[in-house]
Amino acid sequence: VKELAQLLNEMQRVGVIRNYALFGATAQMRYTEPVATLDADVLVAVDSADRLDVLGGIYEFCAAKGYRPEGEAIRVGAWPTQFVPAFSPLTQEAMEQAESADFEGVALRVVRADHLAVIALSVGRAKDLTRILALLESGSVSRDAIKNLAARYDLAEAWQRFESKFLND
Amino acid sequence: MTDLEHMLERQAQWQKSRQSLTWPEKIRMAERVRESVRQLRALPRPAMPGPPKR
Repeated sequence: VKELAQLLNEMQRVGVIRNYALFGATAQMRYTEPVATLDADVLVAVDSADRLDVLGGIYEFCAAKGYRPEGEAIRVGAWPTQFVPAFSPLTQEAMEQAESADFEGVALRVVRADHLAVIALSVGRAKDLTRILALLESGSVSRDAIKNLAARYDLAEAWQRFESKFLND
Repeated sequence: MTDLEHMLERQAQWQKSRQSLTWPEKIRMAERVRESVRQLRALPRPAMPGPPKR
């Protein structure tokens, strides 16, 4: 992940991407106990509205650096990394308001716990719902914070369903 | 406290100790188990039992 942080910072510096933030399970582990995951997920903003393949610039830059595609991902060090364009208002806000963390001496932008929880709520698979429970359990985010953020993104009903299914006694 | 309660308490303490690891330490732990996870997910899934035959 340190190698990935260095690559992401370099891509931002030279303009391949405008912004980025780590999300998904690798970001979750900043707040919770370790979880099993196969890859790293990164939200990216790119200036390539004129390209059909919005991630083309990233793939070209990575190939020039010797990083090869692996399925839907690009392997960076130990981690197959999926680059996900931040298209929706929720993921855009999550990326823009991400925190700059220190990962073994390298700055790494990482999505905040409340955004991680609400992105998980919007996706809604079993493993995403488990992520919300883990984040709540860790104390890194409150029910109120999730509720307020979810309401801003039309997810109030989804949060209500989640609360009544998993949190209400 | 029963044996089961002891076991659950030890489990909870172990989980808390993992949560207090640094982020890089947790990432390294995830890296170590990843290959096993990949192999497990690649295994063919057992067929789900169908409805009882009449």
